[in-house]
Amino acid sequence: MKPSFLGLLAASLGYAVGRLARAIPTIAVIVLLNFGLVHLAPGDAADVLAGEAGAATPEYMQQLRHKFGLDQPLAVQLLVYAKNIFSFDLGYSFRHDRPVRQLILERLGPTLLLMGTTLVVSVGLGILLGMLAARRVNSWQDNVISVVALVSYATPLFWAGLMLIVVFSIKLGWLPTSGMEDVAAFNEGWARVLDIGRHLVLPALTLSLFYLAFYARLMRASMLEQSGMDYITTARAKGLTESQIAWRHTLRNAVLPVVTMAGIQVGSLLGGSVVVETVFGWPGLGSLAFESLFARDLNLLLGIFFISACLVVVVNMVVDVIYSILDPRIELGSREAA
Amino acid sequence: MTNVQRHGRWALASRHAILALVAILLVAIPIEWSWAQAPKRGGTLVMIVQPEPPTLASYQSTSGPVGQVATKVYDGLLEYDFNLKPIPSLAESWNVSADGKTITFKLRKGVKFHDGKPFTSADVQFSIMEVLKKMHPRAPTTFRELESIDTPDPYTAVFHLQRPAPYLLMGLSGYESPMLPKHLMQGTNLQSSPLANAPVGTGPYKFVEWKKGEYVRLDRNPDYWKPGLPRLDRVICRFIGDAATRSAAIETGEAHLGGLGAIPNVDIARLKALPTITTTTKGYEMLSPMVMLDFNTKRKPFDNVKVRQAIAYAIDRQFVIDNIWFGYGKPATGPISSNFKATGMYTGDVKNYNVPNRMEIANKLLDEAGYPRKADGTRFEIVHDLTPYGEEWKRYGEYVQQVLSKLGIKATLRYEDVPAWLRRVYTNYDFQLTNNWVQTQADPVIGVHRFYSSKTIKPGAVFVNDAQWSSPRTDELMEQATVETDPAKRNALYHELQKLLVEASPYVWVFELDFVTVENKMVKDAIVSPLGIYASFDRAWLDK
Repeated sequence: MKPSFLGLLAASLGYAVGRLARAIPTIAVIVLLNFGLVHLAPGDAADVLAGEAGAATPEYMQQLRHKFGLDQPLAVQLLVYAKNIFSFDLGYSFRHDRPVRQLILERLGPTLLLMGTTLVVSVGLGILLGMLAARRVNSWQDNVISVVALVSYATPLFWAGLMLIVVFSIKLGWLPTSGMEDVAAFNEGWARVLDIGRHLVLPALTLSLFYLAFYARLMRASMLEQSGMDYITTARAKGLTESQIAWRHTLRNAVLPVVTMAGIQVGSLLGGSVVVETVFGWPGLGSLAFESLFARDLNLLLGIFFISACLVVVVNMVVDVIYSILDPRIELGSREAA
Repeated sequence: MTNVQRHGRWALASRHAILALVAILLVAIPIEWSWAQAPKRGGTLVMIVQPEPPTLASYQSTSGPVGQVATKVYDGLLEYDFNLKPIPSLAESWNVSADGKTITFKLRKGVKFHDGKPFTSADVQFSIMEVLKKMHPRAPTTFRELESIDTPDPYTAVFHLQRPAPYLLMGLSGYESPMLPKHLMQGTNLQSSPLANAPVGTGPYKFVEWKKGEYVRLDRNPDYWKPGLPRLDRVICRFIGDAATRSAAIETGEAHLGGLGAIPNVDIARLKALPTITTTTKGYEMLSPMVMLDFNTKRKPFDNVKVRQAIAYAIDRQFVIDNIWFGYGKPATGPISSNFKATGMYTGDVKNYNVPNRMEIANKLLDEAGYPRKADGTRFEIVHDLTPYGEEWKRYGEYVQQVLSKLGIKATLRYEDVPAWLRRVYTNYDFQLTNNWVQTQADPVIGVHRFYSSKTIKPGAVFVNDAQWSSPRTDELMEQATVETDPAKRNALYHELQKLLVEASPYVWVFELDFVTVENKMVKDAIVSPLGIYASFDRAWLDK
């Protein structure tokens, strides 16, 4: 019997609460591991600041370390950090002289814009191309899609990005090389939206090409696997057209592995893409994390790690719920019982 | 002076108008030419700053990117001409007493901070005594003799020194010693002042906003004290992490200017060939960057002067310049840059390592030092650390590795990140040989002494005497030169210092690095000072 909508919702909610309760120790362990890991790196933020300054006296370095709390024993630092995290305070970045929360929030919009666009384009197009390839298996369309997918998956991101810049910015002059906005113009309203859109094209395309290839291959394989199943034969026997079968039956079943992979990609959304952000000067969280690692801005780095860890936990949960909607045979509770 | 400038400008403009009229009657082409020479007002200059600065607190950090942005907002008491002579800025005039222990500055009247408050001697006193002297990384050198600053009236600041400090006047630019607003900083926690992220100065551009990861926006200060300046409406400092993209942004004209290594040398030859781009190596005279090899003179085998000299002989300086830095540099002879030729401090009359039979001598020195070749042709093994500031340092390391192998020294290269390298070299002294580059600054007391004085062998202090080398005589020479006010006597002390250091070779001074500023040809009058892109850009304009 198909469960009622309300029943499903209640089950989902109960499941979510259970999962959240278990997520807390998970995150606590992650916090502890992160803290230990980042402190393994030699040198500290004071070294970096002094190095950048080109000169510093030992007294000045001592003053910096005292200000940053780096002169405390590691255990004390960990306790302070843990106390802050569990009161939802991500701490202060002494390097930037700003609260970590503010720094992360500033980068959140651009990160979500780039990664969201990439996700929609790559999953959407990937599924469509995968279906097309699977339905015309071994035709020229299939071969073209497969070869393009292989090439774009194998191309290093930074190289693909730079080549797109060479073609579309330098040679053709259609699109800007980098950044998120035209800094000389300071557009307002729709002109600004359009401007950001123009800046978004190349980075989103670079990243999408990479992921799209992956989803297309996955979808194609999954579709082919499903097409040999008994229920497809049954559908065909009852007189459905091939396209009805593909859209109504095969797709829904074949898309499950793609959802799994997309879930993993969403989990890494907040991490951004260091390479693409760097190549296109996109102000995302990936490059912020990268810089903070090399600057030993540990509060900021740990803050980004923490937010990312939380997101992974939440997304895993959401993916499980989507699973159960796509395939009602998968029951949320049963996994919990197991 | 104000009137003269104004008059000059009007005269120039009217002459151009007449010229243009005449030209209209004769030929059409010269019109454009004659108008093109007159500075134009307006426009937005986009400058690439690499990397993005952590803050804009130039009173606390001399880091390159901080200075490139903050100098547009803060003025200093002085500016400098290309001969490294001080010229007036916020200080209209200054007078050094006969004993060298009192310096009196007369300040310019009518100068306002960006928030409208007047700039007075109280701000000078506060900026130097309360902020710079306590927080600036180079203040322990620049201001070490400075005891107090008196402010007899709002436009006079009197510096009282313990001992004469001839170098002090070289450290008062807007980059080195920014003049800060006392009324916004006094009584606040200076370590985390809001000014660190939103500076307020007296300079030609006002800070407007900082989109982290993207740009800093600076708008024209309409009340700037230099009449008719600045000419630009806006300066945008853009941050792009990838070197190839920075070059592309310059190529498409999205950005107009980048210096201090923002555009990699490998791209410069290609960009230079474009009709829209020009390059210059001017504007780094007050930095005098020097590329070196640092020995750990407390560890075998580099505790032996003969081994150090052997390596100094073996390095082909011109090869490094031509093949790794694409020709942007000049072989160095010793610790003081040839930029100081004009002041007489520099001398090339030192031990010459650049001789035709270099390798022969080097091999002989190593034999004498007690490191003969073993049966397999090698003498000893070392680890060569590489300074973590980019690709060329790896190439340079690979070159040194090859040269050393010719001498029978097997070198393993080690490349770490910035904090790890700094900790290894300047705190733990856990290295044998590292490559390095340093800025030797506008005066040897500020930029040179730190690498050779026994006082600067301090674990934890960075970019100082990592060689841990010193001698009583060189310490004495530096002490004397610090307080010597007679230029001729001071130069003689420095000549002896250069001779002794080059002979002992605690470092190999490989070459004087030329940074390149890449500019769109539209940009005019941006590099007008020995501080280059660390200057205020008040006269810069765009020829659109």
